[in-house]
Amino acid sequence: MGRIILEVKDFSFKYRQTKQKALKNISFQVEEGNFFCVIGANGSGKSTLCSALAGLIPHYFTGKMSGRVIVDGISAGESTIAELSQKIGFVFQNPFNQLSYTAGTVAEELAYGLGNRGVSRRMMMEKVEFVSKLMRIDHILDKNPLELSGGQVQRVAFGSAFIMEPEILVLDECTTQLDPAGSEEIFDIVKELNKKGVTVIMADHDMERVARCADKILVLEKGRAAALDEPKKIFGDPEIMQHGVGIPDYVEITRALKEKQYTDRDIEIAEGPAIEMVREVLDRCKLN
Amino acid sequence: MATISNTFIPKNTVIERLNPMTKIFAIFSLGLGTLISPGPRLGLAVIAGLFGAAWLAGILKDFAKIMFGFGIPVTAMLLFIQGCYHPGNVTFIADLGFAKVGLEGVRYALKIISTLLVFLGTFYIMNKTTYPGKLVAALTESGMPPKAGYLVLASLNVVPQMQRRMSVIREAQEARGVETGGGITARIKAYIPLLGPVIMSSLTDAQERGMTLETRGFGIAGVKPTAYVEVCKTRTDRAVNIFLTAFFIAVVSAAVLTKLDFI
Repeated sequence: MGRIILEVKDFSFKYRQTKQKALKNISFQVEEGNFFCVIGANGSGKSTLCSALAGLIPHYFTGKMSGRVIVDGISAGESTIAELSQKIGFVFQNPFNQLSYTAGTVAEELAYGLGNRGVSRRMMMEKVEFVSKLMRIDHILDKNPLELSGGQVQRVAFGSAFIMEPEILVLDECTTQLDPAGSEEIFDIVKELNKKGVTVIMADHDMERVARCADKILVLEKGRAAALDEPKKIFGDPEIMQHGVGIPDYVEITRALKEKQYTDRDIEIAEGPAIEMVREVLDRCKLN
Repeated sequence: MATISNTFIPKNTVIERLNPMTKIFAIFSLGLGTLISPGPRLGLAVIAGLFGAAWLAGILKDFAKIMFGFGIPVTAMLLFIQGCYHPGNVTFIADLGFAKVGLEGVRYALKIISTLLVFLGTFYIMNKTTYPGKLVAALTESGMPPKAGYLVLASLNVVPQMQRRMSVIREAQEARGVETGGGITARIKAYIPLLGPVIMSSLTDAQERGMTLETRGFGIAGVKPTAYVEVCKTRTDRAVNIFLTAFFIAVVSAAVLTKLDFI
């Protein structure tokens, strides 16, 4: 077992304006370098959990809170958001919320966080060049962030989080403005960062992607932790859909093949092995 | 689509290239110099100089518009009030029938107007020729706290952002068939209901902005923030600063000597 970089201990939260708790007694640990996914239906508490991890709860969203969020030994409730930002990079659901609105160009927007850390201008320029190429926004560096399309702003939002080189990256359903190809491109970068040791915590509705990327999945249902396990176990559980989450098409196909006894292999959650299983079944059918 | 600032338009002129701190220094040295000087002559000379600076900055037309637009009605009003009713009026230069115009009052009115116009003109030139990011970077470099720097930038950006939001709401209304164009009455009718949502959403935006800034490290204790925008002091800056300092010292000296009846 690796080092625990993030721990949520019996965490509950109720927004001031609501009657119901948004999160109820959530507990889990995330190991350093893990890809941890949070799934659940709309209103299940995914964004609230992400906000708590970044310290926005209790510092910005006030309400009744109990339990603790500990980020690399620091209690999120007792530290400031700015201090936590040195460890956690947060990408908002709405990319326009990621903009500082103080920058006149994309380059300045990307460099904003570095400036807050006192990074030298030379270093900033190097990092801006690197990240803008990585995010394929190097051709719009001189443009005003407010003049960009939603997809371009989303890339700038990701870039502004990546450029800070955080130990933990919290992604809150953050590909809403991107087309499927753009979304995959960004997630390839996220996966690459994860391989290099960045811990990723992602709330998402794209179950194929979750199945492909996650080391562990937390299923939320009406603010409660309905399940917490490895992807194969989560999606292999026939009851999982009762918690308001979908399952990847590959799982559905391979499960159907298994249930109809076309194969004795276990269900597959990723594209490659699932296709391989379907091919095997088809080949066997041809032979028969 | 709105931009980050609706006042600055890059033109790469000599005035634009000046360090923002030089321009701020100009506002204070020229403005205070005019205020301290005993008569209106210096102020009028400075205003003439400002027209020259505006020409150099490529904003002469806009500058003239704001100076005359503000200057003419204020001058007329102050000349009438101070000229006719200034308590120090002794030398009368005209008789309007219902009141006499005093030279002392006219001078006093011209002094106030010239001082106001110098402050307005210098600030306008600075605002039109300074990139907001550069201004804040220069202020922060000069030791201003980052929070105050943000406040300056946010204040400069609040109007364009509200305009942007207003245009988004207006487009949404138009798409639903609401008439937002036409005569002044029709426009007022269309815009008044938008004001509430625009102001409220701007306040909500301000809260969200605070959240965003902190997640991006704004306000980390013990760190002196740096800026991506380069701010440098050139020879021209040094020359302008020397000139402004000399100007201010000369004006103060002249004012003191006048007070002591040496001049």
